[in-house]
Amino acid sequence: MKAYKRLYELLSEGLYRYSYSMVRNAEVAEEIVSDVFIKVWQIRARLSEVDNLRVYVYTIARNFSLNYLARNADNRVIGLNSPEAGELAGGNSPAELCISADLANQMKRIVQQLPPQCRTIFRLVREEGLKYKEVAAILELSPNTVRNQLAIAIQKLGEAPLLKDILSTFGTYEG
Amino acid sequence: MREDQFWLLVSCKLSGEATADELAALDRFLRDHPEMAARLDPLSEWWSHPNSSSPALKKGALQRHLRRLNKSDDHPSRTPRRRRLFLFAAGIAASIAAVFLFINQWPQKKATPPVAQNSVSTKPGSKSKIQLPDGSQVWLNSDSRITYSESFRGAGREVHLCGEAYFDVVKDRNHPFIIHTSTIDVLVLGTALNVRSYSNEKNTEAVLIHGSVQVSLRNNPDKKIILRPNDKLVVQNGSKVSLAGAGRTAPKEPDTARIISLGKAHFKEKDSVATEVLWVKNKLAFDQESLEAVALKMERWFNVKVTITEPALQHTEYSGVFEDETLPQVMEALRMTGNFHYTIRRREVMIRP
Repeated sequence: MKAYKRLYELLSEGLYRYSYSMVRNAEVAEEIVSDVFIKVWQIRARLSEVDNLRVYVYTIARNFSLNYLARNADNRVIGLNSPEAGELAGGNSPAELCISADLANQMKRIVQQLPPQCRTIFRLVREEGLKYKEVAAILELSPNTVRNQLAIAIQKLGEAPLLKDILSTFGTYEG
Repeated sequence: MREDQFWLLVSCKLSGEATADELAALDRFLRDHPEMAARLDPLSEWWSHPNSSSPALKKGALQRHLRRLNKSDDHPSRTPRRRRLFLFAAGIAASIAAVFLFINQWPQKKATPPVAQNSVSTKPGSKSKIQLPDGSQVWLNSDSRITYSESFRGAGREVHLCGEAYFDVVKDRNHPFIIHTSTIDVLVLGTALNVRSYSNEKNTEAVLIHGSVQVSLRNNPDKKIILRPNDKLVVQNGSKVSLAGAGRTAPKEPDTARIISLGKAHFKEKDSVATEVLWVKNKLAFDQESLEAVALKMERWFNVKVTITEPALQHTEYSGVFEDETLPQVMEALRMTGNFHYTIRRREVMIRP
């Protein structure tokens, strides 16, 4: 049970972020994470047979999230509910990161405007630290596709206007 | 170097998946193009600090999850232990011959004084597992109820079942275990069996997994059928059905139950478990069942209401085993092999030609 709780502590945040990115609802996302861990509990005797636990739980989370979306296609409120605005508001503290708040916001906006699959791949690699092979397994793509999509995302970020114009962006930044 | 190649190298480096060659190539390029290197530094910095503002689980999530887990832990998921139980039960099957001794002592009337009754019931869409006072385990399927006296003292161990349950009965030669349904009574002696007796279904079924049981019809108690492992008995429910409780006498008016078939439980190749019992492992299984029967099963399993608009559709037969599929997924799978269309709105399913 201790190990199980530890598993929850290690994996739940990442699963929550991933599920939330799909279902856009905090309660539902938490419930999905819980359902994933119920599944983990149910197969705990055979966990050693699972090739890659992270792929396994993210795949289940994806399936549950997709199921939720399919079930609730009629009821989903589009637009006003989406908390992109909220996400923009909270930013990385520039002092910590040595980049300006403006740049951080610009990056965030670019990420949000990525095509959906590209964005998902980007988040799974950057925020969850998953490898290309793992992302490929979860999303049922080829690792090459994952690689290329990530490159597209990074290129878009790298060409952020504020980055291009870095001398004016980083007043006191020492390169 | 082409632009897209450059960004590919950068992304591989940031994600930690660049090969040594790729890293070297990137380094060379950046040395020759310092303005690009300047751009990359803040990008790398930003890359390595995700999540400060991402949506996060609210505090107490682990506690909330553990509570949910407890509630759902009624499902029998410990397969290894069940197999050991089976082996044990099989080993003592030989001594079951003692069951014949009890035929003569079969109580015709339940004239015992009323005792404290326990009742466990499940709603559509949920299952439950309980342990009886003697240690016997009962898995209760959706929309079912089981009633038993609080202590299992007295001549025997008696339960009343309305719905479907899987019994794993502790062997006790001195205390016959009797399952009462509206149509049949089942006498067991240390065995595992599945009994299905829903009031809104045409038939009552009993499938013996291990051991030996004796089934008698309520409307004709002299008629007794002995079941051997993997036997499946199907009895038609009569039009007048009632359940006699302990302390009340058996119904006076005879109903018209008659036996339909005594056959074998069905096994699909992959499972070592009979199809009739897959629900205990949380699998929804149909075994050449009419759409009508499928609809009933799904009503209980998913807690929905299913309406078939065209009666002619009801007779098509379906087989399948589903484990984690949702209602839409099951409906879709059935639709693909069948001859109907469907709509799902909230908790209602409409099936039409």
